[in-house]
Amino acid sequence: MAWLFVRGLLAVAIIVCGLVILVRMAEALPQGRFAVLPGIVLGGAMIALGVHRLSLIARVRGMM
Amino acid sequence: MPADSKSSQPELRRSVTPWGSFSWGYSDVGADIFVGLGLVLAWAAGASNVAFLFAGVVYVCIGLAYTELAATYPVAGGGQYFVMRGLGDIFGFIAGWAVLLDFTIDVTLFAWTSVDYSSQLLPALVNSVHPWLHFGVVLGLVIGLCLLNVIGVRESTTFNGVVSALDVISETCILCFGFLFAFRPQLLIHTMQTHWPSPYELMLGTSLAIISFVGLESISQAAQETQRPASIIPRTSVSLILTILIFALAYSNLALGFQPWHPITDAAGHHLQFWQIFPNNPDNQGKAVALLAAQVPYYGAFAALYVPVLGAILLLISSNSGVFGSSRIAYAMSTSNLLPSIFQRVHRKFRTPMISIVFFSIIAVIELLFAAAPALFPAVSSLYTRFFHGENGLDFLADLYAFGAATSYSFVFLGLIGLRLTDPLSPRKFKIPLNVPMRFRGERVEFPIVAVIGFIGIFSILMFTLFTHPLGRIFGPSWLLLGLLFYLVYRRYRRLPILGSQPRNWRTAQTEILRRAGELELMDEYVANVKASDALRAGQGT
Repeated sequence: MAWLFVRGLLAVAIIVCGLVILVRMAEALPQGRFAVLPGIVLGGAMIALGVHRLSLIARVRGMM
Repeated sequence: MPADSKSSQPELRRSVTPWGSFSWGYSDVGADIFVGLGLVLAWAAGASNVAFLFAGVVYVCIGLAYTELAATYPVAGGGQYFVMRGLGDIFGFIAGWAVLLDFTIDVTLFAWTSVDYSSQLLPALVNSVHPWLHFGVVLGLVIGLCLLNVIGVRESTTFNGVVSALDVISETCILCFGFLFAFRPQLLIHTMQTHWPSPYELMLGTSLAIISFVGLESISQAAQETQRPASIIPRTSVSLILTILIFALAYSNLALGFQPWHPITDAAGHHLQFWQIFPNNPDNQGKAVALLAAQVPYYGAFAALYVPVLGAILLLISSNSGVFGSSRIAYAMSTSNLLPSIFQRVHRKFRTPMISIVFFSIIAVIELLFAAAPALFPAVSSLYTRFFHGENGLDFLADLYAFGAATSYSFVFLGLIGLRLTDPLSPRKFKIPLNVPMRFRGERVEFPIVAVIGFIGIFSILMFTLFTHPLGRIFGPSWLLLGLLFYLVYRRYRRLPILGSQPRNWRTAQTEILRRAGELELMDEYVANVKASDALRAGQGT
C-alpha cells in the first residue's frame, strides 16, 4: 500500500512538472510561436504519462 | 518461437514481471538517446527539438503498433513475424533482414559509444587521439559479447531492472536540475530563430533522430516471456513509449536553451552555446549526455563522475541485446523457412544458437572495420572525404541504423494494416486509436488511420535517410539486395514458393500462441469468433 502511495505521488509530480512546462512555454508563446511547439508536446506527454500511471494505480487499488 | 515450429521444441519460460517487461524495453530503447542526442545536435542545430518531435510522433505511432501486435501475437519473432503473417513470406524476410541489419549495427554502434562514454573518464580512449586503442577496445567488447552469448551468459532481468531504474532516476535528476537552474526559454527561442538549419541538414537531423527510438522489437521479445502478455504488454508499453518520448524531447529542448554551469569557449576564446560543441566533433557526439550532465548546475559535480559509467553500462547492455536479438530473430526466421535451418542449430554443450551468434558477430566486426577505417588509415579517410562527404565512423553506423529501422518499421505498419484486414477474428485487447469500421471479404474490420499516418512519417524518414546519407544509401540497399538474392536462391533450392508464401494454418497457430501465453479467455474468444464466422459463411453459402 505504501509503495502504491509513493508511485501515486510520483505520478502526481510528473503531472505537475508537465503543467509547469506548459505554463512556461505559454509565457514564451508571444516571442516563439512555432518554437514552443516541442515544449508544449513535452508538457502534454508528461501529463499523459502521469495520468496513465494514476489510472494503473487506480486499477490495482480496485483489485485489492 | 513462432507457433508453427515443432511443438516438441522447448518453450521459453514466462517469468517476466511488468517491471521486468518495462526495463527490458527501456534498456534497449532508453540507451538510444545517449547515442542520438549528440548526432542530432550536430546536424539539426537550432531545430534539434523539432527533429526529435517529428521522429517522436512517428515513434509513438510505431510503439502503439508494436504494442497492439505484440499483445495480439505474443511471439518472439517480432516485426518479421507480424509482416510475414500480414503480407507474406517475402515481405516478412525483407522486414526481418532489415531488423538483422539493425541488430548487427546495434552491436557495433553501442559498443563504440560505450567506449566513447568511458573516454570521458579515461581520456586515452578518445577516438581522435588513439584510434587504434579505441578500435581495439570496441573489437574486444564485440568479441567478448559474442563469446558470452555462445556460452550462454546473459545479463539477468534483475540486472536490467536495476540499471534501468538507476538510469531513469539519474536522467530525471539531470533534467530536473537542468530545467530548474540552467534552462532559459528565451535562449531556446533565440537559438531556434538564429540557428535554424538548412532543409538538407534538417532532413539529415530528423533521420538521425529516429535512432533515438529504435529497439521496439524488445516489446515483442518481452511479450514472448511475459505471463498474460495481452494484459501486461499494453500497460508497460504505454509507459515505456511516453518515458522515452519525454526524455528525448526534454534533452533536446534543454540542450538548445541551456546555460552551461561553466563557460564553454572555442580555441579563439569565444563563448559557445552548449549545442555548439557537437558539430564537426565526433568525439563529443558520442558522449553527449555525459557532457550535458557535467554542465548541469550543482548536480553536475556529482553527475560528471557517474553518468559516463552508467551510460557505458547501459550502452553495453544494449550492445549485448544486439548479439542476443540477432540470433533469436535468425532462429525465428529459420523456423519459418525464411533462412536456412543452420541458423536453428544449437551448440551441444552450451545449448545456444552458436552459428547464428558467431555469424552475426562477424558481420558486426565487418561493420566496425568500415566505421573505424577512416580514423585508422589516412588513405581511406581521403576516400571517404571524396566520395561520402567526409562521413566518420559514427556517421556510418548511424546511417545504417536509421536505414534498417526505417525500412523494418515501414513494413510493420503495412503488416499491421494487412493483419487488421485479413485476421479480424483475433481478439485485440489493445488497439491503436482512430479506426474506421468497414467490411473486407465479408468480415467486419477496422481500418487503422494511425498506421497510415505512421507509415507516411516513417517512409518520409526512410527517404530522408536515402537522400542525405551518402553511405547509408549505398550500404543499406546493398544489404537488402544481397539478402533478397540469398533468399531467392535458398527458396528455390528448398523448392518453396519464391514470391508467394508457404501454406500455413494460422488459425491453429493462433490458438496455440494464446494457449502458450496463458491467455485462455482470449483463446476461447478466438475459437468462438472463428466458429461464428464459419457458421455465417456456411449460412450464406446455403
